[in-house]
Amino acid sequence: MSGLIQVLNNSLLSQDAVIKATFYPTAFLTIFFAFLVVMSRSIFHSVIYLAFTLIGIAGIYLYLDAEFLAIVQVLIYVGAIVTLFIFTIMLTTQADTEPIRGTVRRMWAGALAGFAIFLILSKVITMTTWHIGLPEAAFVNLRELGRSLMSKYALPFEVISLISLAALVGVIVIGRGRKR
Amino acid sequence: MVAHLIPAIPFLAFVINILFGRKIKKVSAFVSILACGVSLCLSIYTFASLLKGHGSYTLFKWLIFGSTSLNVGVIVDPLTCMMLLVVTIIGTLIQIYSIGYMKDDPRFSRFFAYMSLFMSSMLGLLLADNFIILLIFWEGVGLCSYLLISFWFEKISAAKAGMKAFITTRIGDTGLLIGVFILFFSAHTVHFSGLTAISNANPLFTAAALLIFCGAVGKSAQFPLHVWLPDAMEGPTPVSALIHAATMVAAGVYLVARCFGLFLAHQPALIWVAYVGAATSIFAATIAAVNNDIKRILAYSTISQLGFMMIGLGVGGYSAGTFHLMTHAFFKALLFLCAGSIIHSIHAQDIRRMGGIFQKMKITGTTFVIASLAISGVPPFSGFWSKDEILSESLRSGHPYLFMIAMATSLLTAFYMFRLIFLVLFGKPRSELHPYESPKVMTIPLAILAIFAIFIGLVGSPFMHNAFQTFIHPGPPENSEGLAPNYLVMLLSTLAAALGIAAAYLFYMLNNKILPLEIRNKFTLLYNLLYNKYYIDEIYEFLFIRPSIRLSRLASKFDSGVIDGAVNACAKAVVVLSRIKSWIDRYIVDGAVNMTAGIVGLSSLVLRRVQTGYIQTYLLIAFFGLVLIIFIKLIGG
Amino acid sequence: MIPQSHFLILSALLFSIGVFGILTRKNAIGILMSIELILNAANINLITFGKFLGSPDGLGQIFALFVIAIAAASAVVGLGLVISIYRNAKTILVNKLNLMKW
Repeated sequence: MSGLIQVLNNSLLSQDAVIKATFYPTAFLTIFFAFLVVMSRSIFHSVIYLAFTLIGIAGIYLYLDAEFLAIVQVLIYVGAIVTLFIFTIMLTTQADTEPIRGTVRRMWAGALAGFAIFLILSKVITMTTWHIGLPEAAFVNLRELGRSLMSKYALPFEVISLISLAALVGVIVIGRGRKR
Repeated sequence: MVAHLIPAIPFLAFVINILFGRKIKKVSAFVSILACGVSLCLSIYTFASLLKGHGSYTLFKWLIFGSTSLNVGVIVDPLTCMMLLVVTIIGTLIQIYSIGYMKDDPRFSRFFAYMSLFMSSMLGLLLADNFIILLIFWEGVGLCSYLLISFWFEKISAAKAGMKAFITTRIGDTGLLIGVFILFFSAHTVHFSGLTAISNANPLFTAAALLIFCGAVGKSAQFPLHVWLPDAMEGPTPVSALIHAATMVAAGVYLVARCFGLFLAHQPALIWVAYVGAATSIFAATIAAVNNDIKRILAYSTISQLGFMMIGLGVGGYSAGTFHLMTHAFFKALLFLCAGSIIHSIHAQDIRRMGGIFQKMKITGTTFVIASLAISGVPPFSGFWSKDEILSESLRSGHPYLFMIAMATSLLTAFYMFRLIFLVLFGKPRSELHPYESPKVMTIPLAILAIFAIFIGLVGSPFMHNAFQTFIHPGPPENSEGLAPNYLVMLLSTLAAALGIAAAYLFYMLNNKILPLEIRNKFTLLYNLLYNKYYIDEIYEFLFIRPSIRLSRLASKFDSGVIDGAVNACAKAVVVLSRIKSWIDRYIVDGAVNMTAGIVGLSSLVLRRVQTGYIQTYLLIAFFGLVLIIFIKLIGG
Repeated sequence: MIPQSHFLILSALLFSIGVFGILTRKNAIGILMSIELILNAANINLITFGKFLGSPDGLGQIFALFVIAIAAASAVVGLGLVISIYRNAKTILVNKLNLMKW
């Protein structure tokens, strides 16, 4: 955000206000699209809304000084995973007219569950006084990320690659179908 | 000291015959006769030892209650010894005779077994020194009488006669039992030796004496319990001879003689003995005069003669009564055996069908006539002496009416006996008969008994200085005039006998039954009364038998209705109870079990809806659980 | 500055929506999408704490990176399964896939 801050330094608006002014609409949009994901009748629409939600989340990342992660989010999530979703949807579409959403009763139960969880979480969040660390140490640049990824967190890195391999092999086996 | 073996040896013969009879068949007769013969020898030995001075002795202590004790012992006195000899001699002879008479019977060995048992019981009865043992053997002879009367039990009349004998004597036995009880509870003794101590008259003891006489009435077939003896003729003739002529029926007379001290002290009881005896003797003699069955005539004759003996005892003539007991045993046994011989050869018993048998059966005929002379009281045969004793005794002790009754009875006795002789042995045969003389095994006992019938009376006659009387009744004679012969009475009795025989001759020999027929037609009512035995059996049937059968039917109905009903009701109650219990079991107990299962089923029906198979449901529940946990954590703090 | 709690509330909201979606959607792919939402919500959380608590070596962001990788792997496998199920049962609606029903 430091570059953007410099850009905005010359503007009349204060840094804080701009951040605040843009954050809440982004957050709202993200939530909105997330809602649409779960509420829409058509699965195609859900996927599109999911893409928008993920882009919105990438935007949120920017407010958290995680530029690299935002780009990665868009690349991988939106670029690969959503594409995958679209392909799968196209492969498994049914022409029947059954409603995609569940029965009304289940909706209410689910809403209740979701609402309850949200209630609890927000309660916890507002109740706790969060410890704030040094703001300077919050800025992490890409160089340091890369360095720690290769040194300190090399093991999880390798494990991730193993997991990817496993997923790859697994999907091929599952997707292969019956031996003819 | 061997007297107690006398009844034991025939009992052993009984055991052998009853157990092995089927194997040894004809040998059983020899076993029986041998046992009887041994008993005879032992009796002679006991008699000799008595003369030497040995007397009664005890064998062992049996029961002890309180201060009194019951000893089992043997009485050895003149009366018993005389009876022992009579019983064993006659018993042996009759059993020898039975070899011939029962030759073709399929149950030959059993007959001799029963005979031995009877001998054992009779001898035991004679030797018992107390009432209890006497009663045991008393019942024993009753049992044997029953067994032997209904020996041919295939004949319904024989079976019925056996029952009649048993029940009738049982009535008398009850009286006897009560009398013994009274004696025991008042005098605290059951031994005969204790009875002599009862010298002072006591109304209780009078009653006891009369009750004891009841037993004698039953066993000796006196009126009114005489009804069984004629019917007992259904049994084989040797049985009639032994039991119902010579021995068992004499047991009643023996009993009175044994308790004579008791009776003497209680004159009212004693005179009743005489009255009953007198009534019986004339009563039975009248029936015998018109009866047509050989054996039944002899049976009524027995009843009459026993009454005679009771007269003798009843007027105080101990030796007279017992003398007649002895002589009667011999000639009555002989009479029955002769009758049996005739029946055996011609297979008929009705005298109206007989006649002129003497030609073909000389030995039987001769002995028959001898016995009839004896019973009629013709001197010098045995019967004359003993009858004479009774007649003179009754006169001497101041009972003229009894004397007259006894005289009339003697006349009738001579009459009916010779009526029997003339109708059976002489004259022309009235139906197709083929008589033949019996084998030697039957005729030799007849001859021996005939000898006894002729001569045995002499032991009590003045010719032998009344040896019998002094023997039988040691001590001073019971009357002041001593035993001097009463010539008037002798003359009168001989006259009576002659009259009777003449009348019989007139009626049956000369006119060949025209005169009796005329009399019968004139006195039809009297004839019917006599012919039907004064309808006594019919009266008893009406008075006693029908009501008791009705009572027993009632009791049986009560038993099956009330008692069985109670049992059935119990069973029904149990069934009802079990049904209730099964209902409880089925509906309540099983119901509880089923209810539990039902609850489980129902609840599972509801609860398994949880297993929807949808992951989303499971997740829902999981999330709710999570919320709950966090909530609790929050609250808890 | 945007306070920490706002970010956290945002993530909580996204999480709740994701939960709602999981419990509600009938299409299996819809459920997978809701799972992605949840994972993203977790990511936001991680990065928020990474920034505000001061993570040495950028721990928060690295964690989130790994989460993205794993989410991708899981989505891949899940979709492969969906395709396999579609091939067998001709449907991907979960209310029809109730073989575990009693």
